[in-house]
Amino acid sequence: MRLRARIAIVAWVALLAASGWIVARAQYSTDLAAFLPRSPSAAQQLLVDQLRDGVVSRLILIGIEGCDEAACAQLSRALRAKLDGDPLFSYANNGAADRLRADGELLIRHRYQLSPAVTPARFTVTGLRAALEGQLDLLASPLGMLAGRMLPRDPTGEFAAILYRLQAQNAPDLRDGVWFSRDGSRALLVAQTRAPGFDLDAQERALARIRGAFAKAQAQAGAGGARLLLSGPAVFGVQSRASIRGDALRITTVAAVCIALLLLAVYRSPRVLLLTLLPVASGALAGVAAVGASFGAVHGVTLGFGATLIGEAVDYAIYLFAGTGPEAPPDRALARIWPTLRLGVLTSVTGFAALLFSGFPGLAQLGLFSASGLIVAVLVTRWVLPALAPASYSLKVADRIGPPLLAAIAQARPLRLPLLAAVALCAGWLVWRGGAAWNDELAALSPVPQAEQRLDEQMRRDLGAPDVSELVIVRAATEQQTLQTAEAVGGALDRLVEAGGLAGFDSPARYLPSEAAQRARLAAIPDVRTLRRNLAAAATGLPFRSGVFAPFLREIEEARHAAPLTRRDLRGTGLEAKLAGLLVERRAEWMGMLPLSGVADPDALARALRGFDPAHVALLDLKRETDALYRGYRTRVLSFSLLGAAAIAALLLVSLRSLRAAWDVLAPLAAALIATCALLAAAGVALNIFHLVAMLLVVGVGSNYTLFFHRSARQDERPARTMVSLLLCNLSTVIGFGLIGLARTPVLAAIGSTVALGAALSLVFGAILTARVPPVARY
Amino acid sequence: MISGRTIRLLPERAVAALLCAALAWPPCAAAADDGQWSLRELMSELGKTRRTEARFVERKYLRVLERPLVSSGRLIYIAPGRLEKRTLAPKPETLIVSADTLVIESTNRTRRTLRLQDYPVLWGFVESFRGTLDGDLDALERFYAVGLGGEPADWELVLAPRLEQMRAVISQIRIRGSRGSVRVIEVTEAQGDRSVMQVFEDDS
Repeated sequence: MRLRARIAIVAWVALLAASGWIVARAQYSTDLAAFLPRSPSAAQQLLVDQLRDGVVSRLILIGIEGCDEAACAQLSRALRAKLDGDPLFSYANNGAADRLRADGELLIRHRYQLSPAVTPARFTVTGLRAALEGQLDLLASPLGMLAGRMLPRDPTGEFAAILYRLQAQNAPDLRDGVWFSRDGSRALLVAQTRAPGFDLDAQERALARIRGAFAKAQAQAGAGGARLLLSGPAVFGVQSRASIRGDALRITTVAAVCIALLLLAVYRSPRVLLLTLLPVASGALAGVAAVGASFGAVHGVTLGFGATLIGEAVDYAIYLFAGTGPEAPPDRALARIWPTLRLGVLTSVTGFAALLFSGFPGLAQLGLFSASGLIVAVLVTRWVLPALAPASYSLKVADRIGPPLLAAIAQARPLRLPLLAAVALCAGWLVWRGGAAWNDELAALSPVPQAEQRLDEQMRRDLGAPDVSELVIVRAATEQQTLQTAEAVGGALDRLVEAGGLAGFDSPARYLPSEAAQRARLAAIPDVRTLRRNLAAAATGLPFRSGVFAPFLREIEEARHAAPLTRRDLRGTGLEAKLAGLLVERRAEWMGMLPLSGVADPDALARALRGFDPAHVALLDLKRETDALYRGYRTRVLSFSLLGAAAIAALLLVSLRSLRAAWDVLAPLAAALIATCALLAAAGVALNIFHLVAMLLVVGVGSNYTLFFHRSARQDERPARTMVSLLLCNLSTVIGFGLIGLARTPVLAAIGSTVALGAALSLVFGAILTARVPPVARY
Repeated sequence: MISGRTIRLLPERAVAALLCAALAWPPCAAAADDGQWSLRELMSELGKTRRTEARFVERKYLRVLERPLVSSGRLIYIAPGRLEKRTLAPKPETLIVSADTLVIESTNRTRRTLRLQDYPVLWGFVESFRGTLDGDLDALERFYAVGLGGEPADWELVLAPRLEQMRAVISQIRIRGSRGSVRVIEVTEAQGDRSVMQVFEDDS
């Protein structure tokens, strides 16, 4: 016996050491994509990629407020100047015109390669005549003053045509030459990081760089009252990582202290208290190690769950110490409760194991963490605690609270029917509400507080996009093929825009036409003699001074022999930044994105794209795809949870060998879950998948209660002790999870409130439905 | 009647100026603002017009063209701040300025709406017309250094752009008129092109 204890302790210490080693070396991630399915459809894969490192994920929205217009504008300019050359950012923009002017030279030089209007017909006598007449109209109009200067170089107006197409459709308001919010209270900038959105360490550095640059600009300008606002996916990612970390750490600490104080007050023995915490600590460490060893990286949400393990694993030691006494040394007390405890742990582990096979890396981590943590905790309770526990410890307080508790439980039996009726009503109400109880938006999972989501929405609206919600994705093996496909799709979309089915779209081919398109355009230019003849014929009768178009003839002849414009030529310009967001190389294929705006006729859009090979051209509705993804996700988690519930029922049926006994154990749990859902729904909480996960925890904790209640009705020698231990377990669970329910991170808050409520209801319902004690208690 | 008032006004000003110059008296400061004062007076005179309609003929003398581009049509001004320029020949085109927007409607192309804020040069240009018709000195001075010459019956506003980006396009705008009416607007562009618009009010 003593040898066995010694072996157990050595094994335990070895396990802790190994776990500690793994935990210290493990990688930690906060990539929310871990909570997306592992093997999604092609469209979903695109979506996940977009969320992880698409253009949108790299965008940081910057606002400056709390200063007057001139001061804010000056800060905006100073901040942009500091960020523009910074290697962390691919570009920073505040709407100031100087950037466009710098790009303007490039556009002018390459206008015949870039302008889609360059076709052979453009340079015939008819084509040139039409262009010249158009120029005369333009000269007569008030805009002529601006356009007229390019006339000798560009009588066909290619530069203007390019500019017109590149112009942002919903540009923000300009005040003092820079972007401002509609109400003029806030100067706006946009910065795009070079690092992908999921690289939170890099994003954190980028944010720190912006804050530093702003502080410097503010000090230089002496604008003390000005405030910097940052928003965007990167900001959210970094913030929620910090707040989950902070929440998990703070709440775990507070919960641990509260539970320790409660237990100390009850135990009146620091040694027993420390022993009670041993299984929890060992389980948490082993759980993280198990996840680290099998997944490589531990997710932040999984770590956050470390706190939640306390809830159930603390109970094991409480069951033990409530049963020990002079007549029952730890070994014997444990032997008494072991069959019930073992079944309780198996029940919980069965529930969590369902998550292991759910196909979502994040949830699988949670499942593995909880299951392995619980197994280690119960093994420590079984083999290590008895060896370390004081020989004749007795929970004195149990003798005082026990009898009244039993008496109360004995009185509770008449409440059975009213309770069942109330639960049936709750169930009916939930069924009647149906899907309305669920929140089907992925955003609901976001750990970002709502006020900040609203700020983000408003800044995005003020900036007029880049709220990419629908886009066409083109894919091919090479950059050139991708650009050519984008051009073909662009042609179809152009026709749709003309027909009014679409307000507009963007395309990588606008910034970098395919070489084939560029060559075709240059080939459309006739030789200089033909062109001169055509131009002279076209100008006959028009008032243009002779020789005025000499610069045009010279420049177009040069352009005709120019090499194609490449990605290299765009380096350092605003066009490069735009292109980088719309054309990417990934997994040995190229992908182009054509963001759509104002889709008025979805059917016509679908028809326009029907002619293209779906393997190369796909329409992606980000919002719809995301929510569909999430709905599928929720359904899948729900079905795996139901599978877990069925497995638990089967396990109990087999172990207890009685339908009646299984009913005794399961009915209070089911009733508690139904009532919890109804209460949450009545409080206006829309359920999401984290509530589902929390319900698995309720089943885990609650099944222990009902198993002990069930036992108390049959072979319990000391029912009063059992009741006190259950009450103590329940109090510690409600304290622990109640505190988690106060977390600012929605994920943790959802789990905390659900488990606290569910556990309390499980205990009460178990006492009413399952416990059967005679009015005069024995102990 | 008109000439009578002119005759009465002139000697007074001349006498005051002479007195100040001769005596180097403190009120000379007041006399130095005399131009400013009459600018204000002109503006308030201009501001009295609530609505006016006129015919215009515009000639653009451009370096790239051998002969001027001539266009004509109607101007409609409704106080405050709304100006419509309806070109009828050689091609119909309508231009409407109202508050912060400029709408261009032409027969062949569709309607285009521009926000003046997005085009500072255009905005300044528009404000030279509209600010004058509104009698809004602040709007004019936001974009131009404003000089006044002549006399109430035959005044001339000289507008020199303040913004550098505007000076790159327009070097000067001269507006001539009589009392509350605008007669001629002449725009000289930085590169030497020039346009002259004559305005003929309906009742004159």
